[in-house]
Amino acid sequence: MANGFSGPVAQIVDNYLERLKKGLKGIAVKDQDELVKEIHSHIYESFRGDPTEDEVARILKVLDKLGEPATVISARMPEVMVTLGKKKKLPFLILAGLLIAIFALPLGTSALGVAVGLIIGVLALVLSFYIVAFALILTGWLSAVIMTIRLFSPEFLEPYMDIYPLVPDPTFNTVIYILGALLIAAIGLGMLWLGTRMMRGIRFVFRLLFEKLRSWRKKSAAPAPSPAS
Amino acid sequence: MENKITQLRKGILELAILGCLSKERHYGYSLVKTISGDTEIDLTEGTIYPILGRLAKEGLVQTEWVESSQGPPRKYYTLTLKGEESFRVLEQEFRKLAAIVANAQSAPDRRARDAGDAHPVLSVTKETNNG
Repeated sequence: MANGFSGPVAQIVDNYLERLKKGLKGIAVKDQDELVKEIHSHIYESFRGDPTEDEVARILKVLDKLGEPATVISARMPEVMVTLGKKKKLPFLILAGLLIAIFALPLGTSALGVAVGLIIGVLALVLSFYIVAFALILTGWLSAVIMTIRLFSPEFLEPYMDIYPLVPDPTFNTVIYILGALLIAAIGLGMLWLGTRMMRGIRFVFRLLFEKLRSWRKKSAAPAPSPAS
Repeated sequence: MENKITQLRKGILELAILGCLSKERHYGYSLVKTISGDTEIDLTEGTIYPILGRLAKEGLVQTEWVESSQGPPRKYYTLTLKGEESFRVLEQEFRKLAAIVANAQSAPDRRARDAGDAHPVLSVTKETNNG
């Protein structure tokens, strides 16, 4: 990459800018590029202004003074993204949430405890919803397959199966059961579809809550400075 | 403690940035140089960028990319009218606060007076540690 440096220095700079870029995932690409460009310019100017002889030592000093990419990024991204965007750390977040839920009440920050409890509750609800959906799909399809086998070779599964005759004609009866099974599977698929809609809604509500909570906390943490006079 | 220092620094740094920009336009690195001056201030240079970003978002500064005669283009920051107004208000407030801190420091310290006769050295060490 042509970054105005050469040799090992260029590599060190590239590595830093790459790490910076990684940390910026989730914000608008235009803003990402702009900040990376700006930091690149900073590194260049800082490097140029330092009279140290050894170039590698010089670039390391420059980056050390600049600080880790996290320093440059922090408070720049919308906080909802910083906190909710780290999907890779989901298990950790859940653990942290549980710990907060358990310990927050005795610590006196009961509102936080209740909030986290609610979040966990909703997550559990979502999980069970999906489990039900998948169970329905699985049951429906398997039943349909078994019924179809029965339709073509009734004697194959005969010793193991005994279905209630809804109509006198056994073939027609089996067809009704197949349709029923497919209906169950369809309900499962419908739930999945509904789930994606639901997830969108839940995400939206969570984000909204988070923003509100944050602005409310900011307000209460830093009360308006009263006139000193 | 670390957190307190960070909080204090962020506020003051923001004021210093506004102050520098009220005199002339700057790009990130020149801002760092101007702020830290000749002093060996332990300033993590990267911290100014989140602050600059926030100032831009709040409409206190406006930005402009300018080609440099050497190396990559620089992003220049200028105070907006709103920014100048903010700086005036904040600076006044800062002067008041600085006066409060100065008053508190010059107030007679009862602890130092009581302990001063018996253990003058000890009381001095104590103060430096607390300060």
